[in-house]
Amino acid sequence: MSFQIKNCNRFSSSGKMTQDVEMKEQQVPAAPSNSVSSTVPSVLQHLKEIAALIETGAYSREVRRILRAIRLTIALRRKLNASVISSFLSFTLASGSEAHSRLVSYLPKEDEHDMEVDTASSGSQATVKHSHEIEIYCYLLVLIFLIDQKKYNEAKSCSSASIARLKNLNRRTVDVLASRLYFYYSLSYELTESLSEIRGNLLALHRVATLRHDELGQETLLNLLLRNYLHYNLYDQAEKLRSKAPRFEAHSNQQFCRYLFYLGKIRTIQLEYTDAKESLLQAARKAPVAALGFRVQCNKWAIIVRLLLGEIPERTVFMQKGMENALKPYFDLTNAVRIGDLDLFKTVAEKFSTTFTSDRTNNLIVRLRHNVIRTGLRNISISYSRISLADVATKLRLDSPNPIADAESIVSKAIRDGAIDAMLDHANGWMVSKETGDIYSTNEPQMAFNSRIAFCLNMHNEAVRALRFPPNSHKEKESAEKRRERQQQEQELAQCIAEEDDDEF
Amino acid sequence: MDPKLTEVSQLFERFKAALVRNDFDTCSKLLSQLKILLIEFKSLPPLFEETPNAVQELTIARDIYEHAVVLSVKMEDQDAFERDFFQLKPYYTDVGSRLTQSPQEYPILGLNLLRLLVQNRIAEFHTELELLSANALENTCIKHAVELEQSFMEGAYNRVLTARQTVPHETYVYFMDLLARTVRDEIAGCSEKAYDSLTVKDAREMLLISSDQELFDYIKEEHPEWEVKNGLVVFQKAKDSAPCKEIPSLQLINQTLSYARELERIV
Repeated sequence: MSFQIKNCNRFSSSGKMTQDVEMKEQQVPAAPSNSVSSTVPSVLQHLKEIAALIETGAYSREVRRILRAIRLTIALRRKLNASVISSFLSFTLASGSEAHSRLVSYLPKEDEHDMEVDTASSGSQATVKHSHEIEIYCYLLVLIFLIDQKKYNEAKSCSSASIARLKNLNRRTVDVLASRLYFYYSLSYELTESLSEIRGNLLALHRVATLRHDELGQETLLNLLLRNYLHYNLYDQAEKLRSKAPRFEAHSNQQFCRYLFYLGKIRTIQLEYTDAKESLLQAARKAPVAALGFRVQCNKWAIIVRLLLGEIPERTVFMQKGMENALKPYFDLTNAVRIGDLDLFKTVAEKFSTTFTSDRTNNLIVRLRHNVIRTGLRNISISYSRISLADVATKLRLDSPNPIADAESIVSKAIRDGAIDAMLDHANGWMVSKETGDIYSTNEPQMAFNSRIAFCLNMHNEAVRALRFPPNSHKEKESAEKRRERQQQEQELAQCIAEEDDDEF
Repeated sequence: MDPKLTEVSQLFERFKAALVRNDFDTCSKLLSQLKILLIEFKSLPPLFEETPNAVQELTIARDIYEHAVVLSVKMEDQDAFERDFFQLKPYYTDVGSRLTQSPQEYPILGLNLLRLLVQNRIAEFHTELELLSANALENTCIKHAVELEQSFMEGAYNRVLTARQTVPHETYVYFMDLLARTVRDEIAGCSEKAYDSLTVKDAREMLLISSDQELFDYIKEEHPEWEVKNGLVVFQKAKDSAPCKEIPSLQLINQTLSYARELERIV
């Protein structure tokens, strides 16, 4: 019944739409010919189609359809306006219902527009019983609209209401919509600078999601919690939560990227640079091309981590499309570290200190100082086979009351950490560099070869595992008769097994 | 005034008096009584209820824990320090905006940084550091600890040792002494790798040990593998990444077999 009504509406209004389009095209001759464009429906039509998609998805329990509905909604995002949404709400939700009246109250009033639609939908109201999915979807739509309109306080109360509503729903098809709602819930609080208020709520939601085996929800909520903690620099709590939360194969690539980024940040702060580098680079690579801001952030952190590891990132890293300007301070910084010049490093750090503070990388840059000294030392050790410690001190520009003793202990620490291959002669005050040995006489090339092959094989296996097949595609081919036959066989088999089981006892 | 609050503040006065007298037994006895009394205040962590006396209660509780931290330093008890500090921390982070800032806040935060440095818990050191505002980083007490960490990472151990003379707060001395011991172990570890041998005199100077006998005791205890002969301390070298004489055949066979297996799966 509901389908018929929807279809009627669609035809009538798309007919009107076609006229509109044709009229416009007559005025603008440059536009393409009107033969194809007659199917352009209005935003409201799109929304109604999406709603139908959700209905079928909810009915047939196919999460895939709901995911598609969300994707389509995001594509419509820029075209939404208050009147469209309010007519959509009156179309889908019963106008007397609690959800309807609450959602409409968030929208700015534009009375004259929805008069017509109200009367149109009042007839269908009695027959259309909306599903939970549609109700949640309406919340999501209104929330996205409010955030886009920068009405953050309304968004905050709307999202809180939606979360309260969600707590009473336990359906797998709602989970997908719910995970998006969590995201916007957190976003609206972040935009109003009150993230710490919802931490307890998020934790409770995460617990519920875990109990319901809602993996997408867990994934989203874990990321939101990590974001929440890191917003206040609470790395300790973030790491404790992360290490104890259940992990599983990622469901959404975006969420996985975020997780990797947060993980990389935590590990950087806790000085696990090798692991941090891996997660940050992976996050930057996996992120969608459109997410420029995210990739810039990943790259900034990755550059610092690589510097801290004693690596020098290639020039191409800084020349990536759209990032040149954002990465400029980090480029200069890298340059200073590469040369091993303490003075240059200091000037760069001071010059861009505002950027570094807003990126919250200031403390990491302070840590870099000793890498600058290391690089300088490495350069000296490569260039000289023997050099006095006094010269080392002047070359490194160590300004301290006792430069030679400082240089000596710095060099000895560098030797112990394996940064340079040299010996100290205390009696003469020399540093003697050792000849670099032939690496091919050791097992190292073999190990490097092995790790690379292992990486490639692993990549292949993961790619195979990631292949997706449309569900039931092979079953549809079998005819009804064959299916009956097969089911019969299966039943017989099951009976046999059951009998065998009985025999055993 | 609330009778409970009066009781706590009276007890606290007695505790403070005992702390000034350095009467540690009385102090710890009074402190455990105080802690039990504090449990009854609902406005304190973790409940944070909005009671009418909340601000007063929070302030006195913060004061008590601050003194507890100082007491643990005086008693040279690092575990107690850690416990008391963690109890104190929520007063700075979670309710910091509701109270007037304590003059003890930065010295105690700096002290904690120093403790982490002494215990060589550098990861936690940096985690704590991230929590501090730009303002806090300018404070001398915090700066002292941050600079120490830098010199420590660089290997400029002399600077670490001279910093003992410039401590910003009298409670820091205990940890600075401990730090000197950590530094000595670090120097010993570095020297082992960087020198073939050192004269006994040089080794003594470097490790900041006053007499030869003490040096020998130290070597016997910490580094029994060092040799002392002809007035020289000779370090034993661990030869790393030596040229490979034999081909590790078993490992290679295993690896090649696994490649073959994987390739078969692909084809």
